[in-house]
This record gives sequence, structure tokens and C-alpha cells, in this order.
Amino acid sequence: MLKHTILAAITAAFLASPSHAADDLLSKPWDDVVAQAKQEGEVVWYNWFLQPRFRELTKGFEDKYGIKVTIPDGTVDGNFSKFLAERDRAEGDIDVMSVPGDRLAQFEPATYFMGPLDPIPGFDKRRTKINGGDGKNYAVAYWGNQTGLAYDPTQLDEAKLPQSFEELNAWIAENPQAFAFNDPRGGGAGSAFIQSAVVNTSTPDDIKGANFQPSWDWFAANSENYGFTSSNADSLTRLNGGEFQLVAAWEDHLAGLQQKGEVDKRMKFYIPKFGMPGGGNAVGIPANAKHKAAALVFLEWLTSAETQDLFAKEMGSSPVNSDAKGVPGGVPAEQRAYATDWLPIETTNAVKAQFIEKVVLSQ
Amino acid sequence: MRAAQPARWRETAGLLLLLLPGLGLIVLFIGTVISMAVAQSVGYFNFSGPSGFTLDFWHKQLTSPILRTSVLYSLKIATISAILSVALAYPLALWLRKPFPGSGAISALLKAPMMVPGLVAAFLLVNVIAFHGIINETLLGLGITSKPLRMQNDRFGFAVIFLQVWKQLPFALLLLSAAVQSIHDDLLNAARDLGAGALARFRKIVLPLTLKSMQAALIIIFIGAAGDYSFQVVAGPTRSSSLAQHMYTVQREFGQWNEAAVVAIVLMAIALTGSILLAAASQLAVSWGKK
Amino acid sequence: MRNKPLQVILFALLAIVFFLWLFVPFAMALLWSLVDPDKPWSYPDLFPQKLSFRRWGDMWLTTSLPAAIGNSYLLAPVVAFLTLLLAAPTAYAFGRIPFRGKAVAQMLSLLPLVLPSFIIALFFTSLLYKLGIYNKFAGIVLGHVVLFLPYAIRILTVSFSQVRQDLIDAARDLGASPWARFSAAYLPVLRPGILAALIIVFIQSIEEFAIAFVLGSPDFTTVPTILYSYLGYNFVRPNAAVVSLVLVVPNVILMLVFERLLKSEGAAVSGGKG
Repeated sequence: MLKHTILAAITAAFLASPSHAADDLLSKPWDDVVAQAKQEGEVVWYNWFLQPRFRELTKGFEDKYGIKVTIPDGTVDGNFSKFLAERDRAEGDIDVMSVPGDRLAQFEPATYFMGPLDPIPGFDKRRTKINGGDGKNYAVAYWGNQTGLAYDPTQLDEAKLPQSFEELNAWIAENPQAFAFNDPRGGGAGSAFIQSAVVNTSTPDDIKGANFQPSWDWFAANSENYGFTSSNADSLTRLNGGEFQLVAAWEDHLAGLQQKGEVDKRMKFYIPKFGMPGGGNAVGIPANAKHKAAALVFLEWLTSAETQDLFAKEMGSSPVNSDAKGVPGGVPAEQRAYATDWLPIETTNAVKAQFIEKVVLSQ
Repeated sequence: MRAAQPARWRETAGLLLLLLPGLGLIVLFIGTVISMAVAQSVGYFNFSGPSGFTLDFWHKQLTSPILRTSVLYSLKIATISAILSVALAYPLALWLRKPFPGSGAISALLKAPMMVPGLVAAFLLVNVIAFHGIINETLLGLGITSKPLRMQNDRFGFAVIFLQVWKQLPFALLLLSAAVQSIHDDLLNAARDLGAGALARFRKIVLPLTLKSMQAALIIIFIGAAGDYSFQVVAGPTRSSSLAQHMYTVQREFGQWNEAAVVAIVLMAIALTGSILLAAASQLAVSWGKK
Repeated sequence: MRNKPLQVILFALLAIVFFLWLFVPFAMALLWSLVDPDKPWSYPDLFPQKLSFRRWGDMWLTTSLPAAIGNSYLLAPVVAFLTLLLAAPTAYAFGRIPFRGKAVAQMLSLLPLVLPSFIIALFFTSLLYKLGIYNKFAGIVLGHVVLFLPYAIRILTVSFSQVRQDLIDAARDLGASPWARFSAAYLPVLRPGILAALIIVFIQSIEEFAIAFVLGSPDFTTVPTILYSYLGYNFVRPNAAVVSLVLVVPNVILMLVFERLLKSEGAAVSGGKG
């Protein structure tokens, strides 16, 4: 009885869903929104990566609107915890919140974010589905990126880079322990490779039925030939350290680490013909944001074609606005065609869960 | 005896007053937080769907083989780390008991690792044992090995235990130094005069007199190691999963907050009971050694 | 004097241990922190090609590191002293007063230590928000005090239990004032415990990320926030090395001061009780 009372009290105190008055901001003409945004004068964007670079690139927004942009230091999980912990405050610290695309499936965007955002001019050019997650018009993609294979051109023959899955199979047999991918718990590059391997070694029917056994057999049969690292960063670090010659990686991650002088500039990246998925991140405006109008204007700017081209040019991302025309530097355009979509989120999770259980922890 | 009644009442009130600012604060805050975690584990605080009472999350996790192996792995790492740290801290604490020139500096330096954040310690170790790290290059250079050894993410968890001891030994040293220094010289001298050897003095005087500090060290280190996440993900065996790693996998990779809360509660229970059992075992061992 | 060879062997052993245990890791950290951003340290170079202090300058100037250090070192002493004050009465009760249910109470007092960080980040912080504590500094202080009370309680409990009753009685019989009684009978025995508790809580507070980040960000940044920014998605070892060295130096100085304080009224009282 007492237990029930306590539970009820806790529930009442902490589960009250955010009861923010339906915002009429979204029904206002865009010019009024911009005017209100200028009055608010500042916006706080919680983004977990490359903050110093984004601080420089958002100067364009500050100059255009006279609205100050703050991008705090933080980690993806730190930001997410703050976002969840703050949801019952009347006014939170977060105006614009970045979320990895696949995490959109881990909470209900419509309950946490202001929206729907379709009144934003040119909304139909923007993407709300990314990396297997769906922002359902409450979150919009602002960052696209690509997985592929990073390699050290001084260690391997560039002309013989494995392209088909059979070639990769042969290559790792010929060069045991020269190729590596990471634990899917340590980042998406490993997850991407595992997915590609599943797509290439299991039949579409098996994949639909969540039966990936042929793929797990492939991993078991080749376990002596590939290296297994703990994270995205660990793979690139060990490529840089000369332990591996070819590793699964994110294109923008490699570019960022090279820019910071963590990984040598000689390392290169390609998308193999057997296909690797592209992913990305989305932004939304927390329902209790303090500077809602400024957040809306910032979100419009962040996802606009011009800004997307700027990010592609400066930071190696893939544009997520269909009006953007910039081709990111580095990877030749024809390789972009080998980019695939992530499997649906349930399949992605099933692949990951089975891989951890049947390949990682069982050997 | 009647007169004792009001006195007892006053004693109880006084006791409660003493406990209020420390234990009271803990029970109030942490009690609430833990009940929130319990509520989440039975279906409340559901971030991605409707909340409501269910035992599904408990059922799913308790039948998961990963949870079972993670519990065993975390218990192993925590027990070994705690015992090893304390075992290494004793000789150091005894050696530094009497001040000698430079002893203060040595003692301060020995405690430096506790200031290094865990993740940084992990990356430093991984650098040293890397494929082309200094250990491998030295071995190659001396002709001891013909090709580099792969030491990263060893299967047993030596690297994690090493890191735990590296980071936690100073805590043990801090607590044991304080305890060892408060042992009166007369006591040790008397024992020596009675012909007790170094080992006998240690077993019969030092250990019993420092037991409580040792237990405090064991408990603090055990709890820290049982909940370890950062050492495990950087340097731990890839074939095993620690409890905290399993918890964050469930939460971050699969977005199952409610199941993660189940693992969190299991983790708290394991860390607490494990540490107390270890403290009890050390008490038994010491009293047995005294004989 | 006695045991000369043993002393020599001990010193040699210690020198080796010091080298492997302390010199190698810290030298590696220092080396990493000096890697020039233009010349990454990569295979097959045994040592970095080019060393410079550029990263130190960059980190100091382009991040909020100076402010974060200020915040962390303002926060930690406040937390340490408050924790000590609040823990002392409970520790006294645990150490000197026999009562029923003490074992359970002592176990309960350990609870904050076993709390996983995601529970802290989600529920503890939202509890503080619920209580209407919006002042970032006060919120973090309260959070840290509650989290780190167990360390102080545990350590002081041991210290209190070692105070000798005959000394207290003697002081009282001699008509000493409460303060004189405290400083004669309690303080010498408590001192090492007090200092140990202060140091441990201080360091825990400096290192704590979850509460400090969720409550403090974006305007009250502490050092771990910056550190974890460089150890997370963008794993930049040289920059992380800079931040951790910046942290280690003042703390080692602090330890030296602490050793001095501990030694000053050295090994004095207490034959202890079993």
C-alpha cells in the first residue's frame, strides 16, 4: 500500500508531461518570427562535435541576423542527459538540440520538440528521416555523413583496394589482421560495416526475417583475418599507429581528426563498391526553449542550401538539403553512388544485438 | 531502571540529530533518486512510449545471458582490483610510516595517479602497449620478439585490473597511511622485543589495528571497479562486457531506458553486497591471522 | 644501520617501480601534449617529428579552460569542507555510539557511491530542478555533497572509533573546556582522517562530470566538460593530454601541502582499540 502511494507520488511529481502552451510562434508570418528572433538576440545550440569549427562557421549567422550563437562544450550523452533532465523546467538552457539520427527513435520527438516545423520556408527541401531515425517534422537533418573505408596509402597498394565483398574476402585472407572494424557499441562505423557484411552475405528474405546466421558464420570463419577495435576513434588511431592498413570509418570523423593533427594527413578514404551506409544528425527545438524564435531562425539557416554547401566544403559533410549542389571534397563523385541507406531501425538494432551476442561475446 | 526511560528517549533523539545532516541527506536524496530508477525499471519514465506498470523489462534482462556474464566479469575485476590495491598499499604505507628525507615527496608522487582522470589513464596505457608502442618497440629492438605482440584488449582483463590498481592504489595508500601512522611505536617495539618477526608484527598488530581503514579502502575500490565503464571500453577484453558497459549498451545503442534501469539496479545491488561481503571476509581473514 | 642491504634493494625496486608506474605514463602524456598540430605523430615515427607548445596555447586561448579551472577549483574546496561538516556528526555516531541497526545505517550511507552516472545525470539532476534549485553553483555543490558524503563518513567513522576514551575522560576530569577536550583528545587522532577525507572529496568533485555538466552547462563549465569533449567523439589525444596535465600539476602541489600538514603533528597518539 505504502509502496503504491510512494509510486503514485513520484509519478505525479516527475511524470507530468511537459505542458507547454501550444506555441503560436509557428503560425506567425516568417518576417515576424525573424523580428522576434532579433529581439531575443541569442541562441544556444547543444552540439556535441567539432564545436570550435562550428563556432567559427556560425559567425555568418551572427552577422546576418545580429543574433549571438553559443555552442557549449559537451558530449553526446551529456547533452542528451541534460535534454531529458531539463524537460520539466519551464525554461531550459537548450534552444537548439542536436541528436544523432538513430537516436530519434529513442524518444518521442513530438513530445520533446516544438513543432511541426513545416512552416519554415523551403521545408520540403529538407530531410527529417536520417540514419534510420525519423524526426516526424519535429526534427530536421542538418548534418549528413558517410561511412566507408579509411586506408594508409603507404602501407597498401591503392590500385588493389578491395571493391566487391568477394575482393574484401580475398584481401583479408591474403593480408590477415590488416583490416579492422570497431565494436558497434563504440560507434557507427563498425555498425555500418557489419550491416554491409550482412547485406552481402545473407539473403534479403533472411534479413527480413531477422535471420542473419550466414553472416555470423562469415564473421566466425574469418575471425583470424580481421581486427576488432573498441571504437571509431580506436580504429583510426591504430590505422595511424601502423597496426592496421584498412579500417571502417566515418568520412567526416577522419577529416576532423586530420584537421586536429591527431591522424596523419596521408590517410585516405573511399566508399567500396559493395556499399556502405550514409548517416547523419538532426536538430530540433526543445519545447521549453528560452529563445524559440531565434532557435527557429537558426534552424532555418543551419539546414539551408547555402549553409549545407558551406559545411560540405569546409568540414567534409554530405549536404542534407536537396537544393544544395556542393560535392564534398575528397571522395570522387562516382563513389557517392555506392552509398546505401541504413536498414530500418528495427533491423539495425536486431543486427547489432545479434552481433554482440553471437559474435562478440560468444567467442 | 525506570529513570532510564527518558534518558533513552533523549539518547535516541540525539542520535537522530547526529545522523540527520549526513545519513539523513543521503536517504532523502538518494532514496528518491533510487525510487525513480526503480519506477523506471517497472515501466515508468518511458521516454519513447506510454508509461505504465510492467515487469517485462525485468523479465527480459534477468533472462539475458549477457547480464549474467557481465555480473560475473564485473565481480571478478572488482574483487581482484580491490585486493591487489590494498595488498600493494600496505608495504608502501609501512615504508613511509616514519618520515625520512624525501618521504613526503615520494608519498605525494605516489598519489599522483589518483588525479589523472580514468579515460586519460586508459589512453596512456593503450599507447604504451600499442602495436607499435614503446613496449613492443623495445622488445623488437632488443631482439626478444620478432614481431609486435597484440596486447590491447587482452582476454582476461589484465589491462583493466592494472588501470584500476594504478588509479585506486593511491586511495588505499591514503587511508592506510593515516591508519598506520596512528599505531603507537611502543606497541611495535614491544612486539619486536618479544621476538616477533616482521610478518608476525604485521599479522598480529598492524592488520588488526588498521582493519577498519582497510575495509574502507576495499569498499571504496570495489564499488568503483564494479561500476567501471571507461577502463572497460578503452582497454577491456572485447569478448566480455562489464555491467556498466552492458547498461550503457542497452540504453544508448538500443534506447531501452527502462531495461537500462533494471541493469542499473542490479549493478547497485551487486556493488553494495559485494563490497560488504569483501569487507566481512577481510575481517574473518584478519582475525584468523591474529591467532 | 640495521638492514642496510634491504634498504638498498627497496630503493632500487622503488626506482624501477617509479619509472614504470609514474615516469613512463606522465612522460607519455607530456610528449603527446607537445605534438605539433601540423605534424601528427604516426607510424613509423618512434617519436613525434615536431614538438611545440602550440596545443597548450591553443587550448588555453580557444577553449574555456581558464574559466573552467577557476570554477572547478572554486567548487571543490567548498564541496570538500561542506561534506566534511555534514559527515562529521554521522561519523561520530557510527564511530562512537552503539545503536541498533547500525550495520544497516552504515550500508545505507554507501548508496551514493553505487549510483550509476546515467541515473545521476537523469534523475538526481531533475530532482534538483524539481526542488527549484536553479542556481548552478548551489545546485552542483548540493549534488556533489550528497554524492561524496559516503567517503567522508566512512573515513571519519574509522577516525572517531580510534579516539581513546581514557584520554577524553582524563581531559574531562581535569576540567578541560569542550574545545580543549576536543583538541587534546580528538583532533590529533582525527587529523589524518580529516585530511584524507578532504583530499578524496576534493578530487572526486574536480572529476565529476554528470551533475556538473547537466546543471552547469552552458554558463558554468568545469574541467571534465572540456576533457570529455576531447575524449569523446573527437578523440584528440594531444589535447586531452594537455587538459589532464593542467589538472595534475596543481593537484600534486596540493598533495605536497597535504603531506606537510599530515607530518607536522606526526605520529602521536593512540594505541587504538582493536
